[in-house]
Amino acid sequence: MSGVKKIDGKKVMKGEFIVQNKLGVHARPAALFVKLANRFSCAIMVSKDDEEVNGKSIMGLMMLAAGPGSKLVVHCEGDDCQQALTEISALIKRKFDEE
Amino acid sequence: MQRDTITVERFYTGEARGLDMKLVAGANGLKRIIREPTVNRPGLALAGFTRYFANKRLQVIGNAEAYFLKTLTPAEREERYATLFSFKIPAAVFSRNLKPDKVFLRVAERAGVPVFVTSLITMKFINLATLALEMFFAPRASEIGSMVDILGVGVIIRGESGIGKSESVLALIERGYSLVSDDITRVTLLDGREIIGAGAEITRNHMEVRGIGIINVASMFGVRSIRAQKRVDLVVTLKAWSDVPDVERLGMEQEYVKILGMDVPHIVIPVRPGRDLARLIEVAAFQIKLKTSGQNPAKELNDRLIARMTGSMQI
Repeated sequence: MSGVKKIDGKKVMKGEFIVQNKLGVHARPAALFVKLANRFSCAIMVSKDDEEVNGKSIMGLMMLAAGPGSKLVVHCEGDDCQQALTEISALIKRKFDEE
Repeated sequence: MQRDTITVERFYTGEARGLDMKLVAGANGLKRIIREPTVNRPGLALAGFTRYFANKRLQVIGNAEAYFLKTLTPAEREERYATLFSFKIPAAVFSRNLKPDKVFLRVAERAGVPVFVTSLITMKFINLATLALEMFFAPRASEIGSMVDILGVGVIIRGESGIGKSESVLALIERGYSLVSDDITRVTLLDGREIIGAGAEITRNHMEVRGIGIINVASMFGVRSIRAQKRVDLVVTLKAWSDVPDVERLGMEQEYVKILGMDVPHIVIPVRPGRDLARLIEVAAFQIKLKTSGQNPAKELNDRLIARMTGSMQI
């Protein structure tokens, strides 16, 4: 996880994570992610390889097809970006409460 | 849950026409209570065997009993009648227009037990009477909420007052669906397996719309806009957006709500200005229809996704 930076007066923070749960980011983890993301006001973008999607969209996250071992880059932009990234990080590291 | 007492009078006034029943004696016993939702043929009791006599039920006398009684001497008959009426039976029904003899009527009158004659054959009467009694005995309750029939899916729409129930119902009627009840739905558990919803008889076909008053839906939107009763397949609760902390996003697992002890599929739709509630309720009903036919789109999509991610499927 990077520290908080300021770009054009906006707080920005970025983190990289490896998907560790056995089944990858399927519907249930995606729903947990999106529910968590929607609690924050900052913009949350998630990318895998060259594809970037909105972290507040279930269909977007599922489209990434982030299987076990794949790398996700989470990019938050807004006042509560630090808190958001901390909690998202915890969720991914908890393997989305699976297994 | 409420269960009323079913008197012979209630059964008779409700079903006399359908069952073609005529009262021939014992009018003073019409307040007797039918305690079991089925009928009995008192052949064995008339033959003298009264252990296990199902005396709480309606007693149906058909050809078998009538011809048996004819084999007895008048004295024997009177004695058997006395035995029969020494039990507290709710009423006796003669099928096939069989004529009860004078002694039978006299003993029944004295015991205060109503006697009916029906033109139906015994089997037919037993079938229809059992169905009718089941309906009388079915557990009932009132659910707060309006009910609409959406393409064969009975949907009860619940929500706090002022959340937009009536508007949704009106919009659904506009789309061609039918109103079952407004604001309060009477529910009945049928055969212990399905819930039937209906409007209260007095307010049937009417709706209250805030600001306009009471409207007659049938005369305003035509006869297809109303329906007397419908099986309940889905309960939709409309809730203010802020009161729904965990909005359902996948719909993979079905939530249920209990009505009269039965599980009925339930979904919560968060309400926010600009959401077309009627459209959402309509789609929810279609979704239930698909699910009950064995489809679960969320699960199917997820299975495909997992297969892709774990490499167990080639695409």
